[in-house]
Amino acid sequence: MSQMSFREKSAWISFVVIALVFGVYFARILRVLPRALGGGGDSIHFFFVLGAALILFEVGLHLAIKIQSPQEARTPKDERDRLIDMKATRLAFPVLLVGTFAAIFTLHLAVSRGVIINVMLAAVVVAQLTRFGAQIVYHRRGF
Amino acid sequence: MPALPITNCIRRLRFEHKEMTQQALADRIGVTRQTVNAIELCKYSPSLEVAFRIAAVFGVSIDQVFRFSESKR
Repeated sequence: MSQMSFREKSAWISFVVIALVFGVYFARILRVLPRALGGGGDSIHFFFVLGAALILFEVGLHLAIKIQSPQEARTPKDERDRLIDMKATRLAFPVLLVGTFAAIFTLHLAVSRGVIINVMLAAVVVAQLTRFGAQIVYHRRGF
Repeated sequence: MPALPITNCIRRLRFEHKEMTQQALADRIGVTRQTVNAIELCKYSPSLEVAFRIAAVFGVSIDQVFRFSESKR
């Protein structure tokens, strides 16, 4: 862990926190899916609770690694960091695009608004996981 | 992954300059230590600007630091 750069640690934190928080969220959503398909979904409160947890974990863990290596945290991104960001975002964009079209497709199905919103949310989550996952791989492997 | 076509002798140059650390070199050229490490291991080819900065730190020309090897392409 100490050999990792601040940016790589940050990418790991975001990847793990998003995977955990939205893993819990979508596990619950899939459990109540039959009810949600009929328009009876009540996941909004659960969503806000998990959203708050996500913010708390992200801020708390980022503060922890900032305290651990304050000088590196203050250092602006260098050219390799910026290139990694761009490459990772380029990989995540098609994922988001496919998810968006999937959400558009669900508009034509007889499902509730909640399901459509959750498909859109899943697209954003998978795209973000792709982005942070790619950042981790590029930091580890180089290019 | 295939090796990059650009090789370098930064490690030797650091050794010849009072065993300069990767962090010290990184601070002087304005990148992170991990980037210097990636350049040394030929995992990342730096921009021309950073390449010139590295050469300037060691007081040599850029072709004394970096080599382009066609066979690695």
